[in-house]
Amino acid sequence: MSEKLFSHNFAKIEEDLPPRKIYSFQDYPQSDSIKPFNNDSNYSQNTPIAIDFGKTYVRMGMAGTENPYLNFPTLSARYRDRKNNKSSTFIGYDVFYDSTIKANMKNPHDGQMLTNWDAVEKILDYSFLHLNVNSINKINNPIIFNETLATPLSQRQNLSELFFETYDIPSIAFGIDSLFSYYQNNGKSGLIIGTNHESTSIIPILNNNPLINITKRINIGGHQLNDFLKCSIGLKYPYFPTRLNDWQIQNLIKDHCYISKNFNNEINHSLDLNYLEKNDITIEAPFNEILKEEKSDEQLKLDEIKRKENIKKLQDQAKLKRLEKLQLKQKDFEYYSKIKDSFSTMSKREIIDTIRESGFDDENDLNKYLLNLEKSLKKAKLLETDDDDDNDDDENNKYDFSILDKPSSELSPDEIKEKRRLRLIKSNIDSKLRARKEKEEAIKEAEEIRQKDIEFRLNNLESWINNKRQLLDSVVKRRKERLKLKNELGDRKSRASQQRMKNIASLADDAPIDLPINNKRRHQTATIDNDPNDTFGANDDDWSIYRDIAGVDDEELSAEEQEEIYLLEKQLLEFDPNFTINDTQERQFDYKNSIIHKYLRGPRDFDNEDQHQLHQIHLNVERIRIPEIMFQPSITGIDQAGITEVVEDTLLRRLPQELGFSGDISDSNNIKEIFNDIFITGGCALFPNFQSRMTTDIRSFLPTNVSFNVRLAKDPILDAWKGMSKWGYNDFTNNGSKGFWTKQQYNELGIDYMTDNGFGCINLK
Amino acid sequence: MDKETALNNYIKIFSTSEKFKNPRRTIKKVRYKGARLVMNEEQRRLTQLQEDEKLKNPDKPPADRVTYFSIAAPPSLKPIRTYCDVTGLPTNYKSPHNQIRYYNKECYEIVRSMPSGVDQQYLSLRGANVILK
Repeated sequence: MSEKLFSHNFAKIEEDLPPRKIYSFQDYPQSDSIKPFNNDSNYSQNTPIAIDFGKTYVRMGMAGTENPYLNFPTLSARYRDRKNNKSSTFIGYDVFYDSTIKANMKNPHDGQMLTNWDAVEKILDYSFLHLNVNSINKINNPIIFNETLATPLSQRQNLSELFFETYDIPSIAFGIDSLFSYYQNNGKSGLIIGTNHESTSIIPILNNNPLINITKRINIGGHQLNDFLKCSIGLKYPYFPTRLNDWQIQNLIKDHCYISKNFNNEINHSLDLNYLEKNDITIEAPFNEILKEEKSDEQLKLDEIKRKENIKKLQDQAKLKRLEKLQLKQKDFEYYSKIKDSFSTMSKREIIDTIRESGFDDENDLNKYLLNLEKSLKKAKLLETDDDDDNDDDENNKYDFSILDKPSSELSPDEIKEKRRLRLIKSNIDSKLRARKEKEEAIKEAEEIRQKDIEFRLNNLESWINNKRQLLDSVVKRRKERLKLKNELGDRKSRASQQRMKNIASLADDAPIDLPINNKRRHQTATIDNDPNDTFGANDDDWSIYRDIAGVDDEELSAEEQEEIYLLEKQLLEFDPNFTINDTQERQFDYKNSIIHKYLRGPRDFDNEDQHQLHQIHLNVERIRIPEIMFQPSITGIDQAGITEVVEDTLLRRLPQELGFSGDISDSNNIKEIFNDIFITGGCALFPNFQSRMTTDIRSFLPTNVSFNVRLAKDPILDAWKGMSKWGYNDFTNNGSKGFWTKQQYNELGIDYMTDNGFGCINLK
Repeated sequence: MDKETALNNYIKIFSTSEKFKNPRRTIKKVRYKGARLVMNEEQRRLTQLQEDEKLKNPDKPPADRVTYFSIAAPPSLKPIRTYCDVTGLPTNYKSPHNQIRYYNKECYEIVRSMPSGVDQQYLSLRGANVILK
């Protein structure tokens, strides 16, 4: 708040900006009913069932149908009904039906691998139930299932076991989803860029035959992008009031991220104001707004009165206490004065005894003590009379000072006493008057300086401006130096903090060495505990040591400097034609010049009192940075080449090598065919600009006489399942199920010798 | 239909899934294996396979086998571009005391005053954090 104390008002020059559009987070879908088990699935025995068991979604349906009958998130949650003592597992969208179920949801995958086989079985149970499988003790349908490229043998083993032994199916075919997607899009020869949740594979394919041995896999997929964004947002907004879940993060990427057509150029400008104006995205988390109570005028007045009463009470209490102390001191003073007066009638021996009895070392000590008492009494009385400043005029008239002019010899002892009292009062009043006069003089002096300044300005504007600017510079410099010192103190080894430690050490020491001590005063002044050696505080400069060792984050000092800067700037703004609002210190810390502000808060000012703004996050650099990870895995620290580089290597080096072709690649028909069908599929293909980015990138490394073509899958997400369905149906009805591995083969050979069906189900032996 | 009956209905139907499963199957006990374990097992299987081949045919060079590990993309041969760890803007500056990359003076102020631990979190985003074992 103190930062805003001295603020030039910029409101006038701020242009009117339209409010930013505010997006909301997409939370897990709500489900208000459990998916009913219907009879409309077209299920028939002996027709293949296609299952695309993805990391995020499971798609399932009868082969030959257009769209998958089932399409649900790959989630399972165990649930226990305590009332009826029954337990069950909820799958897919049904997980969201109840919050207790939702809390247990799990994905059966760990990375790319299927790991929780119980959950896999439950998910399959659920799907078959929805499909209306009606055979008893077995499932009479061949299965088409997806697997990862060059999958570990145990994965295939477990899946085959599950299908052949638990469900007793007649035959199974495995394949890679991006190849099925390519099949669905009628490809024959080309280069497939298949993105999925955990990895991206670059697969060349020639005459429907995937060249698996020159295929490469980059370990970057949607999941890695999610993770990166999640961590970045966590670090960007460490105090964000709500926790973002995976679903929300995933949707942030889906809805707001895009591939930059020219990343190196765009990232350089991604925090420019006009870029942000166009591209910054504000997303607000839901929250319950707390409305501040508006106090009425009456209430405010009442509060004020109460406050004043409280202050008065405290002041009265303090006054009473002071008076008590004063009386005590007065008594002491009188008592010891009496003792001192009695010395005149005593012998030397008696005097010393009396002094010792009273607890003093010698007469000097007593005198010193009395002197101190008298001083503090005077001071206290002055304060006392200061309090009732208002009524001191009539105080003057209250006393009759005429007695002071009479010589003491003419007075009675009572009158002498009265005279002494009055003299004390008079000196008090006199000193008060003097103080007031001094104050008035100071004001007058200030006014004079002001007048002189104005005169100076009117006479010689140029040197006035120079003068003021120099002053401003010196204050700014002082402030900078102070802040620098403060920073240095943060480092234990810096010179500044070493000096500070030295000071503290010498303060703790009995005989200070470094302290500035005025020797002349050393023996004159007494201290509170009457220790002649301890003279700390006798010199006012001594106290500055506390300022030195307390570190420099002195808010008072900072505010003082700020006020000084503000006043100087105000004058310059008014009279110096060359000093504009942009030259002010405040303007230089303006949000429009702050990279960090723009990164965190977008192209508008930030109000940290606004509940809405506290619940907002901004996406700007991330929008292009997140998808760029696919092209530069080094951003997340993965030591692999990006998509472009792998594609380049595959097209220009691995492919000609594999085909045994050397020479100009434009001469090979096979290679030309592949160049002409570069195919992008999978979830990440949905990023805007993927196609054009690939086109520019490939153009940059291919010889100019080579033509090529980049295309996207028609439906990057569902085409894998559709391809499965189409191929399964064709192979089953027209090709005698040659691509399937039958139960008999499984029993005789195991799965080690599984044949290649053209979909990347390679021999793992 | 209220929630309870809906849940009960579901539980009832879900429990009928036994009907299309083989009743004579053996049910395995261990049903969970982490991805890392799966990968280790696969690696062991492949080395075993290679050793067996060597024993059988000592003169034949090992076969070119496509495996999960062999198809991993190689490291990049191009110079790595570096970006500010705080803002994501391209930069070449690196803080000398905690290795965090920063874009400009303003970002450096943040980097300098970063509490220890936070800098490691930033570094872990690009896998450059110190891992104590």
